[in-house]
Amino acid sequence: MNFEAVIGLETHIETNTKSKMFSTAPNTAELEPNTQVQLLDMAYPGTMPRVNKEAVRKAIRIANALHMTIDSTIYFDRKNYFYSDLPKGYQITQQARPIGREGYVEIEVDGKKKRIGIERIHMEEDTCKQLHFSSYTLLDYNRAGVPLIEIVTKPELRSGEEARKYVEKLREIVTFADVSDGKMENGSMRCDTNISIRPYGTEKFGTKVEVKNLNSIADIEKALDYEVKRQSELLLSGQPVIQETRRFDETKKETISMRVKTDAVDYKYFTEPNIPPIQLSDEFIIDAIKTCPELYDAKLARFTSSYALNDVDAKIILSDRALADYYDECAKFTKAYQPLGNFIISNVLSILNRENKTIIDFKVEPKYISELVDLLDSKQINSNQGKQIFDKVVKENKSPLIFKKELGATLINDEKLILSMIDEVLKANPSLPADFKAGKTRAQGFVMGQIMKKTQGKVDPQVANKLIVEELNK
Amino acid sequence: MKAVNKAVLKDAANRLLFDMSDEQYDMLLDEFHIIQSQLDLIGKIKGVDEATPMTFPFDCTVTFLREDNPSTPLKKEDVLKNAKNVQDGQIKLPKVV
Amino acid sequence: MSYLDLSIREIHEALLNKKVSILDLTKEAISRAKKDTNNAFECILEKEALEKATKLNDTIIPKDNYFYGIPYVAKDNFSTKDIETTGGSNILVGYMPLFDATVIKYLNEAGAILIGKTTLDELAMGGTGTSGHKGKTFNPYDPSHTHMIGGSSCGSAAAVADGIVPFALGSDTGDSVRKPASNSALVGMKPTWGLISRYGLFPFAPSLDHVAYFTRNVEDSALLLNLLSKHDDNDETNSFKTRDDYFKELNSNVKGKKIAVIKEIRESITDKEMNKKFNESLEFLKNEGAIVEEVSMNKDLLTSIFPTYFVISCAEATSNNANLDGIKFGPNYGGKTYQEVMYNVRTKGFSGLIKRRFVIGSYSLMSENQHDLFLRAQKARHLIVDAFNEVFKKYDCIYLLAAPNVAPKFDEASDRLNNEYLIADNYLAFGNFGGYPSMTIPLGFKNGLPYGANITSKPYDEKSVFNLALNLEKFTHLADVSFLNYKDKEEK
Repeated sequence: MNFEAVIGLETHIETNTKSKMFSTAPNTAELEPNTQVQLLDMAYPGTMPRVNKEAVRKAIRIANALHMTIDSTIYFDRKNYFYSDLPKGYQITQQARPIGREGYVEIEVDGKKKRIGIERIHMEEDTCKQLHFSSYTLLDYNRAGVPLIEIVTKPELRSGEEARKYVEKLREIVTFADVSDGKMENGSMRCDTNISIRPYGTEKFGTKVEVKNLNSIADIEKALDYEVKRQSELLLSGQPVIQETRRFDETKKETISMRVKTDAVDYKYFTEPNIPPIQLSDEFIIDAIKTCPELYDAKLARFTSSYALNDVDAKIILSDRALADYYDECAKFTKAYQPLGNFIISNVLSILNRENKTIIDFKVEPKYISELVDLLDSKQINSNQGKQIFDKVVKENKSPLIFKKELGATLINDEKLILSMIDEVLKANPSLPADFKAGKTRAQGFVMGQIMKKTQGKVDPQVANKLIVEELNK
Repeated sequence: MKAVNKAVLKDAANRLLFDMSDEQYDMLLDEFHIIQSQLDLIGKIKGVDEATPMTFPFDCTVTFLREDNPSTPLKKEDVLKNAKNVQDGQIKLPKVV
Repeated sequence: MSYLDLSIREIHEALLNKKVSILDLTKEAISRAKKDTNNAFECILEKEALEKATKLNDTIIPKDNYFYGIPYVAKDNFSTKDIETTGGSNILVGYMPLFDATVIKYLNEAGAILIGKTTLDELAMGGTGTSGHKGKTFNPYDPSHTHMIGGSSCGSAAAVADGIVPFALGSDTGDSVRKPASNSALVGMKPTWGLISRYGLFPFAPSLDHVAYFTRNVEDSALLLNLLSKHDDNDETNSFKTRDDYFKELNSNVKGKKIAVIKEIRESITDKEMNKKFNESLEFLKNEGAIVEEVSMNKDLLTSIFPTYFVISCAEATSNNANLDGIKFGPNYGGKTYQEVMYNVRTKGFSGLIKRRFVIGSYSLMSENQHDLFLRAQKARHLIVDAFNEVFKKYDCIYLLAAPNVAPKFDEASDRLNNEYLIADNYLAFGNFGGYPSMTIPLGFKNGLPYGANITSKPYDEKSVFNLALNLEKFTHLADVSFLNYKDKEEK
């Protein structure tokens, strides 16, 4: 390929505030249509917008995470057009003065860090949901007015892979900042892309093609890769690239022409006269930024330094923000950080994966996990017992100490009996006491192992350990 | 600025999703020419192009933002009450392509 | 004589002294409404009003609440819960709002009784009172129905001028309360922009829209402002400033007040009789201790007031009425596509006049035109407001005749645009550009038809407006004038 792809991405993110952007209706993922609607959402004459403080705070958090210059005065504009899903006949957005400008995001390409420039970030509102049937369409106004954050990159992405990494990074940022669940599958994150190609080394932009209907991050990469190929083939065969909008077909894995772009739609933007300019104080902006939950990069740094987790384990735990939060909670109750990490990865995650659940569904108190990890780490119980106790803890959400006691009741702690077993081992291995006194602590473990073997793991390790050490020291 | 003729006006009307009678377009064209000459008066004002466009009558900047507290939503029946075409608890339109 | 013909304060006193009952008052108002010959009503709310009046009838009348049990009417562009609100347009016939406008809510809570919704120019866009879907509204002062009452708040003006109710809600975007007030001998008050909540007022051009109202005297006007101007969070442009007690602060002392008469506006009004009366009022004010001076302004700016107003208001209006598509509310005629559904509703529902306005507004917002039209008009607005602000730096009030003549005949003026009277007929819009508190009061009569004067002050200086107006009532002797009693007052 002697062509360079020039790609820009426009992403819309649904903000997880409790109420909508301009209306006070609840902002929930309610399934029953037209039950999360207020007067403004129906565009009744005389209704007026009221700007949601939390939506502004969350937009500031993202703008800050993207290293953008934040505008301390908020203005809104009207974007005027007619469409079935647009109740007012205009959308309130920020055209002239977006809340954030000129930022960037870092992605890793071929082992090197690359900065992707972000042109702007602004707040606006969502439209109705449309359900299409063969001969009619149904409108659900629940989604109308939900807060959106729009992020527009500069055309600095150069491949489907870069675009994918960019969107993954965005998702990571918005989920960790607790601004959105960033799921393309349920529409809380939507991407449109535009792509043109040009010969390497040239500056002039080629004809731009817009691609829509991208329903997953994988689709974004596939669609762009396809487009690069398609446009290159066109140009190589002497045909022009037509300026148009194409949609990605998931089954065919190709882009298909939707409509040829004629003139750009004229949105007749003008300042929204029902919302006065809103002046944000420095304190407001600083507080919005300060109260932002820890973002991924900072978390990763902390997990690998404070908890001294290795990079691989840390990244596994951080792959889900809620899981990282759960780890942090557990870490309040134990200092055995690496064992905790291992335990969560090996045991907790495996249960979740098996039952197709996420950590949000895991109802066990973090404290109990930590107690269990400590019991294992201090060898007060063995791994077998650990598994048994873990199962009970998961089932009943009670402290493992309770179950250990119960198990302990079935553990052999009769000192006379244990002593007799120890004596047997020492008789068969007379050098052990001398080894132990000489500093070979392996001797202790050996005796313990033998006794465990003989009792099928049923001896109380605390009692046994105490006696073993006593005997070895004689 | 685009030159104004009946075709331009008809196109503008259609983009607003309505149409008018021929007489109305004629009246509109007349009005346009009157408005045009009146707008030329604005052009005569010294310094008008250097001025900043004014949206609000005076500085009405606020610091107020609404707290993120959801209100009780409208009852579904009320949402649909005024709509003439309703099905399955939603407003019905011909298929939108 | 009926108690209904008194001022609000006097009616309230009569109620307190049990000279008349709430129910009797409402019954009288409804009876007069039914006899209305001026086409002032979209609908008369007999059942609802009598129900409320009956409910309030045996309750104790709060001493400090002047509006308890007082009947009134509201322009049909105020949202009223469960009561059809049409905006004077066929596109909203049958629309039953789910909520009350804030000012309706305030009046309701105070115990005032809404007896009807009044006619208006369609969607408040017009100044002749002829473009509403119910047809022409007439001027009570001309039983021959030759002279208009003006608009867009035609029905509200007619109802108060004809003595049906002592006050009425209207809206003022360019002069839609202050001009009809001049045509019908009423006190038409448009307070500072953002002082009264616009929540529930169908928007025409929000940057110019004001809730405004009619009364028959200045005192009632101040009382009503106290009630209506309460802060409302639902309207983000509603001022947070602490409100004055406009009634308590009323006084007619104008000693030392500086009053500006704008030379170019004054000269644009040529009627000899009206000017004579106006000049007499100036002498009166001087004798009262006011300082009256003629002030010159840039004529180009003044001539630009109308086109500036026209472009900005039509542009905003186009956007504000894009929600009228028959899908969520209003009549629906079907269609094969959603565009057709919208198109059928909007083509059938809007009148020709409104459509012409929308096209002009839309045209001036188009990206290739916006710079020369809409943005330029916004720039002109800025310069005009700057110029008036300069005047208000040195003067407390601007005082002028409100209109070039008495109410025009129907066949004289029309909402077709014309170049005549550019300054005289349209200057009042400066009150909307700068959000200035502005009031028209009755000044005199010419051949039995009223004409008024206009007082405007700087933002939030309602006090200067009220006080000058109160003082002028001593000159005009026209406080409480209506069609029912104006002949007696004229003779005085």
